[in-house]
Amino acid sequence: MSSNTASSSAGSGDSSAARKNSKRPKYSKFTQQELPACKPILTPGWVISTFLIVSVIFIPLGVISLFASQDVVEIVDRYDNDCIPAPARTNKVAFIQGDSPKACNRTLTVTKRMKQPIYVYYQLDNFYQNHRRYVKSRSDSQLRSPKFENQISACKPEDDVGGQPIVPCGLIAWSLFNDTYTLSRNNTPLAVNKKGIAWKSDKEHKFGNKVFPKNFQKGNLTGGATLNPDIPLSEQEDLIVWMRTAALPTFRKLYGKIETDLENGDTIQVTLQNNYNTYSFSGKKKLVLSTTSWLGGKNDFLGIAYLTVGGICFFLALAFTIMYLVKPRRLGDPSYLSWNRNPGGGR
Amino acid sequence: MLQEADIGVGISGVEGMQAVMSSDIAIAQFRYLERLLLVHGHWCYSRISSMICYFFYKNITFGVTIFLYEAYTSFSAQPAYNDWFLSLFNVFFSSLPVIAVGVFDQDVSARFCYKFPLLYQEGVQNILFSWKRIIGWMFNGVISALAIFFLCKESLKHQLFDPNGKTAGWEVLGGTMYTCMVWVVNLQLALSISYFTWVQHIVIWGSIALWYIFLMIYGAMSPSFSTDAYMVFLEALAPAPSYWLTTLFVMIFSLIPYFIYKSVKMRFFPVYHQMIQWIRYEGHSNDAEFVEMVRQRSIRPTTVGYTARRAASVRREDRFYDQIHTDLVAF
Repeated sequence: MSSNTASSSAGSGDSSAARKNSKRPKYSKFTQQELPACKPILTPGWVISTFLIVSVIFIPLGVISLFASQDVVEIVDRYDNDCIPAPARTNKVAFIQGDSPKACNRTLTVTKRMKQPIYVYYQLDNFYQNHRRYVKSRSDSQLRSPKFENQISACKPEDDVGGQPIVPCGLIAWSLFNDTYTLSRNNTPLAVNKKGIAWKSDKEHKFGNKVFPKNFQKGNLTGGATLNPDIPLSEQEDLIVWMRTAALPTFRKLYGKIETDLENGDTIQVTLQNNYNTYSFSGKKKLVLSTTSWLGGKNDFLGIAYLTVGGICFFLALAFTIMYLVKPRRLGDPSYLSWNRNPGGGR
Repeated sequence: MLQEADIGVGISGVEGMQAVMSSDIAIAQFRYLERLLLVHGHWCYSRISSMICYFFYKNITFGVTIFLYEAYTSFSAQPAYNDWFLSLFNVFFSSLPVIAVGVFDQDVSARFCYKFPLLYQEGVQNILFSWKRIIGWMFNGVISALAIFFLCKESLKHQLFDPNGKTAGWEVLGGTMYTCMVWVVNLQLALSISYFTWVQHIVIWGSIALWYIFLMIYGAMSPSFSTDAYMVFLEALAPAPSYWLTTLFVMIFSLIPYFIYKSVKMRFFPVYHQMIQWIRYEGHSNDAEFVEMVRQRSIRPTTVGYTARRAASVRREDRFYDQIHTDLVAF
């Protein structure tokens, strides 16, 4: 700490002059570190009541979260292996890259009533959309406005074709997912609404409505879907959804919404085009139909976690109560003092 | 001699200013030495050791969450957070509280530092900055980071966090983890200090509030600047109850281990300044006889410098405690 500067040194002159010439710094609570302060310490009361309050808050939260998650109905169907016809299963990569018809029929059974809107997702496993080179391979300015069409430097190797810039450039757009799903229920087609699946801020501010796809997938390698060059990017919702890179290697992305209820026992026929090549990196593809609750999709984790921690805190409150009761601080009795047994400062 | 010493204290006076000019600290009267050593010396030691330990803790928490995320990006160096989040963590959201601790913290007030001079020995014997304490704080950082990362990841496992069915991307996971982290490190500081003035309240709660304000302001800037954090809070995070529930859960869960540790330590194995806090709490400080007894009992043939530290580590802390502790808990 800094020095304590002089208080009034009785200099020369009479006392009243000395008091006027005092060098004492002006007193303030802040500079003298005497601010009014709250000095809490962890007494047994605080500890036990904290644990009790935490458990009283957490256990109900856990219960309602668990109920919310249990209310969600989810159907998951892995189709990447089954949608390769049996003779081709020894060389799946060759099949997927070849020209044979890729249509595949799947059947899903609804086990519990699903209220609309029912969301259709595709789930990819072992696909690292969060790899740094992949994430960097895009040009945001190009996506926003046709003026910046030529800002493609970050997009290598998918930046241009024959000297002409690709719009949208980059690996993320190039690898756009291109499996399609047509659903029908009891032989009547089920409409899947593909509008409104992207975040609003993306559609309105990041993907321009004057930007049209150009030279897309015209290079040597086709990485995924093609885009209709007559539709501006702000309306290409599949692309927008795909370009919001996922955080983890196993992820789901929204494909569309079903706006009718599905009853218990309904059979959903899915005719899908198995176009996307996940076989070269042992990825998995799954189709997911799910309702949502106020908490989101089916994820028991929060509910179970809250309940567990609430229970643990309750148990800790009990344990601390017992501990404090078993080992209380002994009440004063001077004969206990080692000072009295061992007069004077000792070791 | 003043310059050879670890700390040289010069007294300015009628014999001239030479001592003042070559000393580290200058005082005006000899009697100020008592306050300098017992109050400011003790406070300085205690503040610096808690500040450094906490600094390691918060940066380890920050770094280990990023490291754990790398395991899920096949170690491609993709950070878990937006660039500006990364840069501003140590500037806006966790720097002021630790400065406030380093400058203003008082584990015991000045009055008690005078009453119980043995507090100064905490510094001489290096009790508050031992390797055990440093490694303990680092370990706390690792545990907090593990808790933050894995709990956030699990709660966003299939990315279905939004009641309107939209999926969570990288920016949602990053925003959730960062929010949890800002809360955890600031609340951890609030738990570890025991002196709250308006300064501490403003910096701790202010840093947390500043995070939300920053998210909103940064998110409102044009997407060419804020790239993926554009509107992330107002559009994606704030309307989703699962975000708030996850934050609350991670915040409490990460602090429970430290809370248990501190409760047990405070009650059953208090360090000397914590014993003084108990004395103050139980009102024994006004009992002059008791205070005198404690001071008498605390007289030791202590030395200074290296020999004192050797003697302390040889003696082991329990023996140092046993006598003081027995006396203090006797009341």
